[in-house]
Amino acid sequence: MTRFIIQRLLLIPVLLLIFSVMVFALVQAPPGDFLTSYIATLASTGSSLDQETIAMLERQFGLDQPVHIQYLRWMGRLLQGDLGLSLEYQRPNAELIAERLGLTVTLALSAFVFTWIVAIPLGIYSATHRNTILDYLTTVLNYIGVATPNFMLALILMWWAYSRFGVSITGLFSREFEQAPWSLAKVIDLAKHIWLPMIVLGIAGTARLTRVMRANLLDELNKPYMISGRARGLSEWQLVMKYPVRLAINPLISTIGWYLPELFSGSLIVATVMNLQNIGPLLLRSLINQDMYLAGGILLIYCFLAIIGTLISDLLLAWLDPRIRMEKS
Amino acid sequence: MYSKKLLRLRVVLSALLVLGMLLTACQSPATPTTAPEGKPEAAPTEAVKEPVDEPEPPEQAEVEEEPAAPPATDPETPITKYNEAPSLKELVEKGELPPVEERLPENPLVIPVVDGIGKYGGTWRRGFLGPSDYNSYVRVVYDGLVRFSPDGGSIVPRLLESWEANDDYTVWTLYLRKGAKWSDGHPFTADDILFWYEDVLLNTDLTPTVPKWMQNKDGTPAVVSKVDDYTVTWTYNESNTTLMMELANQDGGDKNYAVFLPAHYLKQLHAKYADPDELAQLVKEGGFQTWGELFATRKNPAENPDRPVMAAWKPVTRVSDDVLVLERNPYFVGVDPEGNQLPYIDRIEFKFFQDTQALNLAAIAGELDLQERHIIMGNYPVFKENEMAGKYRVITWPTFGGSDAIIAFNQTYVKDPLVGDLLRNRDFRVALSYAIDREEIKEAVFLGLGEARQPVPAPWHPYYPGDDVAYKFTEFNQDLANQMLDSIGLTERDAEGFRMKDGKQFSIEISVVPNFANWPDVAQMVAANWQEVGIRTIVQVRERAVHFEMRDANEIVTELWNEDTTGFPFTGAPKFDPRTQPGLGIAPLVRQWLNSGGKEGMEPTPEMARIVEIIDRGKTVGEEEQIELAKELFTLYVDQCYEIGTVGLTPLVQGVVVANNDLKNIPLTLGNDWPLRTPGNANPEQFFFDR
Repeated sequence: MTRFIIQRLLLIPVLLLIFSVMVFALVQAPPGDFLTSYIATLASTGSSLDQETIAMLERQFGLDQPVHIQYLRWMGRLLQGDLGLSLEYQRPNAELIAERLGLTVTLALSAFVFTWIVAIPLGIYSATHRNTILDYLTTVLNYIGVATPNFMLALILMWWAYSRFGVSITGLFSREFEQAPWSLAKVIDLAKHIWLPMIVLGIAGTARLTRVMRANLLDELNKPYMISGRARGLSEWQLVMKYPVRLAINPLISTIGWYLPELFSGSLIVATVMNLQNIGPLLLRSLINQDMYLAGGILLIYCFLAIIGTLISDLLLAWLDPRIRMEKS
Repeated sequence: MYSKKLLRLRVVLSALLVLGMLLTACQSPATPTTAPEGKPEAAPTEAVKEPVDEPEPPEQAEVEEEPAAPPATDPETPITKYNEAPSLKELVEKGELPPVEERLPENPLVIPVVDGIGKYGGTWRRGFLGPSDYNSYVRVVYDGLVRFSPDGGSIVPRLLESWEANDDYTVWTLYLRKGAKWSDGHPFTADDILFWYEDVLLNTDLTPTVPKWMQNKDGTPAVVSKVDDYTVTWTYNESNTTLMMELANQDGGDKNYAVFLPAHYLKQLHAKYADPDELAQLVKEGGFQTWGELFATRKNPAENPDRPVMAAWKPVTRVSDDVLVLERNPYFVGVDPEGNQLPYIDRIEFKFFQDTQALNLAAIAGELDLQERHIIMGNYPVFKENEMAGKYRVITWPTFGGSDAIIAFNQTYVKDPLVGDLLRNRDFRVALSYAIDREEIKEAVFLGLGEARQPVPAPWHPYYPGDDVAYKFTEFNQDLANQMLDSIGLTERDAEGFRMKDGKQFSIEISVVPNFANWPDVAQMVAANWQEVGIRTIVQVRERAVHFEMRDANEIVTELWNEDTTGFPFTGAPKFDPRTQPGLGIAPLVRQWLNSGGKEGMEPTPEMARIVEIIDRGKTVGEEEQIELAKELFTLYVDQCYEIGTVGLTPLVQGVVVANNDLKNIPLTLGNDWPLRTPGNANPEQFFFDR
């Protein structure tokens, strides 16, 4: 087991190097560079730059160098633990990411908790009370939940809240708290605002998870050990919770690891639509503007977390499921 | 459950749409006419900057009628006593700030008020779209040595008290306001301009190429020198009559360098003056690679709140923060006609929005106090509908002449010689102009606002070449178009009924960028019209950066863009100058030819050569000749049809203004353009909340 972990850990730098080239190439793939998109942005708001200003900006952004030099510069700084400077923000990328990390994780964690708290009991109920009215209702809701893109849901809720109550539900803070330092009042204000994005972000996952839980559990409920358990006089509750649920939850555990990068990236489109200040919109924006060092930095961290996440999933599974553990040893 | 809600939403939305249409239909006759009618009074007769010996009184029609707004030098109503904002008075009483008389210059700038004397206080809430939207800040503070007047027709004093030129316009003398101070209290002097000239403009680390407006004909930089602490001269080898117009735009827009920089602050960031070790440390801390990058960023007030400014408000947070906050500058040089130090408004908050629609939603909800930037014209009906609920009013500031959707024909297209020859054929271009139903475009896309016109200045502008030019080839006459196309030999038709040339099929592509929401719609309508006269037309909606690259690579056939530079043919980067880059894809190879001195590219036609000649000549002659030249320029340009206008004078480009009912002194008519820094030219310092 220890060897397995060490092997995996040793692989990380190699993978990251490969990813860094891929990420850089992908961010550079669209035609033009940061400056072209910046000029285009300016043009669309009426400004017209002259050639001399463009030359000045090119120098300022270091875009007058060939692409491979730009990559090597970036890599050189990465190796020193420096994520570089955002072209658009003109501030260190690490600072920009750190600023948004707290909210991103809070939001993603609350959506995650919401998903699990709702989905697991609902899935168990659905499976054990198959073909009852409530099961059908859950199923229908689940289908709708899975089928509705969450940004659409966000838009509908925003429109509804505005037309019904006249409140704009974008952002995570009221205007007066936006720039205020952290305080109890600000946390309460956050709590007032966070539930909606939490539901929007969690709803599709909840629906999917409920379906998976229900299907997995149904597979188990008909197995002979259930009959034998009942024959031995175990209460239904005890029986279900102790054996089939533990088995049914396995595939879900294996997805926990995937959640790690998501925790970090935030939901791109929903966050943009709802004007949430997390990392999602920062990434989207940097990609659109071809702010390559920022996009590259975020994506690289994302890749790193994906690798770590998979590792954690594997470990969790081994810990939870004796069969896997036994196989390994 | 959700689908039902969706259905209901659709019903609501379609009802809204119908309502909007109705509303527009009712409004359309009123809105487009108000502006042109309101404007002519403000028509500047002295549009071209003449050298003046005395401080020029700020000229604006509405203002002149205001008896309470005399020019600063008017001896009859001298201001004897100055007043200041209550918050500043407190600081003065506490001894933390010098009294207002000491903070103001000897001869303060008197900013005329639109409706009346205002009250102090309040926060002006605005929206912006993040760090790339830096110009949101620039346009509100409009921190230049001089400014364009509200109507855009003249230059008015600001940090300069006055200026004059010698007889042949080669030497300009600028007089600074004595006793003016930076926002940290440090004196503002000629040294701040000389610092820009010697240590920024002439430093190749910071300025790789000297901008055109600072160059002599031979490419050497013009000479800026200090006469005394409050007098600076600009010396060119040849006559230059556009300097003041250029200076009105050297305010740090587009993150460029303003011509005046706080030397006392910025020297610590400049390699020539700073301690090398300390500077290296700062560069490293900021995450930069070179001191030049550090300097270029830290010189931007909205990226560095420590940097002193001359504007009425100074940033206290950064443009990369969620809210960019500006607070009043206690040392601002301006007062109202009664001697109250401006600005009236305490604070400006720019809230960061991830996208334009979210910003529009906030404006509809009445959460923004005065917003024209990023307001989508297509939302106009919705804004009107919510006026009462949102407690705001909607004003329109139409574009400053030109045309809000034009088709430019690439005159140097060579990829497909057949198409290229057609594009170079004037009759072909004129025929295609006649083929367009502009009224339909106006009604369908521009909500009935504006008018069908060619890309020429607005009727109230001195450069306006006359109705016969403005409306030339704009009538909808497909019979004539067909005749003209027949006469140039495009008589043969293919199986689908499209015209062929020399027995070969061809198609014309319109490249369009979904920049302002409805451009692709205009392109589609133009394409449909052209198909009707037998020209196979393809609309290509492209991403901006791709479109820009294609322009440079000479791959554009025709493109749909806007022509918004007609008010400024002799300054900045006019789009009809083939040398402008990035400009329209009118003639990329001609640009190459002109820039390489005829070694590469394609020789301009005599007409195009004349256009270039006029633009160069206009920079060196006095006002009257400039007007004549400009008229000739536009007459020639329209006649050649390199670019055909569809609809202009609409509020498409940031011209729909959503203003809080409490916010006063907002002009109803205003020149609206980037060089004017709208709304900066409306003098936001005198806006106030009447609560």
